[in-house]
Amino acid sequence: MTPFIYKTGNSIFHNLDTRYKLVMMCLISIGILKALFPALALISIILITAMLNIGIKPLNSLNHLKYFLILLFFIFLSRAFTTPGEPLFSIFGVSVSSYGIKDGALVSIRFLIIMLLGMIFSHTTKPSSIKSAAEWFLKPVPFIPEKRASLMIGLSIRFLPLIIELSKQVSDAQKARCADNQKNPVKKIARLILPVLKKTFQTADNLALAMESRCFSEDRTDPEFNKSGYEIKSLFLTIILVLILILF
Amino acid sequence: MEISQQLRHITYSSLFVALIAAGAFLAIPVGPVPIVLQNMFVLLAGIILGPRWGLACVGIYLLIGACGLPVFSNGKAGIGHIFGPTGGYLLGYLPAVFITGLIAKKWDKKMIATVFALLTGSIIVYSTGVPWLKIVTGMEWSRTLALGMYPFILGDILKIIAATLIVKTIRPYIKL
Repeated sequence: MTPFIYKTGNSIFHNLDTRYKLVMMCLISIGILKALFPALALISIILITAMLNIGIKPLNSLNHLKYFLILLFFIFLSRAFTTPGEPLFSIFGVSVSSYGIKDGALVSIRFLIIMLLGMIFSHTTKPSSIKSAAEWFLKPVPFIPEKRASLMIGLSIRFLPLIIELSKQVSDAQKARCADNQKNPVKKIARLILPVLKKTFQTADNLALAMESRCFSEDRTDPEFNKSGYEIKSLFLTIILVLILILF
Repeated sequence: MEISQQLRHITYSSLFVALIAAGAFLAIPVGPVPIVLQNMFVLLAGIILGPRWGLACVGIYLLIGACGLPVFSNGKAGIGHIFGPTGGYLLGYLPAVFITGLIAKKWDKKMIATVFALLTGSIIVYSTGVPWLKIVTGMEWSRTLALGMYPFILGDILKIIAATLIVKTIRPYIKL
């Protein structure tokens, strides 16, 4: 199970209104992109406490981010080797400056912390309330029919496990018939995708038919939001935190 | 029963949003770098749904990813992922799907047009993704290309060939 999937809980993060949570996440992300080491240490402590509080194991979550960590490591190396400055030591004729190491570490740590922030959000927010919040935010945006967008979000959340399940079935069926001995990669792709596409298109057709026969229309009631009562306080604290992140 | 065209477009587009998200998990093991099918589905969305609905489909995908649903590669999510090092590829999907759809629509149902549309789409994804990776990480051009483009070119060529075959076979089943 990836920690980016919602799990029920009763922490303060679970109960906050999703709209406020989204705004806070955006504000903190912007703050982190401007932050330096002392502020980054502060936000890491806050985030790790939050992760422990909602039941994500920090080390376990790093395991799920391992490909991302490899990318960050390459970025760190590249920055460390290419940033000019007073050379600290040199390997194979390439000198590494202390400024380069600092700079590389700063950039990689910022990206890692933003990723952890997203993880906390996804872990504590129901997909359906994300959908409602997206609809609410799209309302004032012109030319975007928010009800239709919200319907599409709901349907695609529903389709996603179906497609993954279906592709597993197709691949198992082919393995049982020794089709995985196929060496030609183009045939490999086409033989996995064609049955999956054909079946899911049929499902989409059936769904459209079912919706039509039940008189589906876009004239629907607006979503409701549950407030925990801590929204304004949390937003206030977030703004202070972002100011600290930017100024220190 | 006659289904309204709009409703069918909505369900098909939602299906493609889910396919793009699932594409991040569907990998075909070929050589050292497994072929991930996500960008193939983005370009297929443009060809099959057309430019407008294709754009809506990618827009919704990016929106739900930015809002925190785990639909980006390896089940990641969050607005930070779009601002992060690989965000340029994701944002590049928007012009890529639109232009791919436009080309495919202009030269209706010709195989050579499909190949050309897929090729243009892939180039657009790299032309936003690679400079973004360079600017965000501050790497040199040679390193950025070695990390963010060269390992995937072979896979992309294979995907374009496979996608052309898929479009040809799947068209009769689509009632758009």
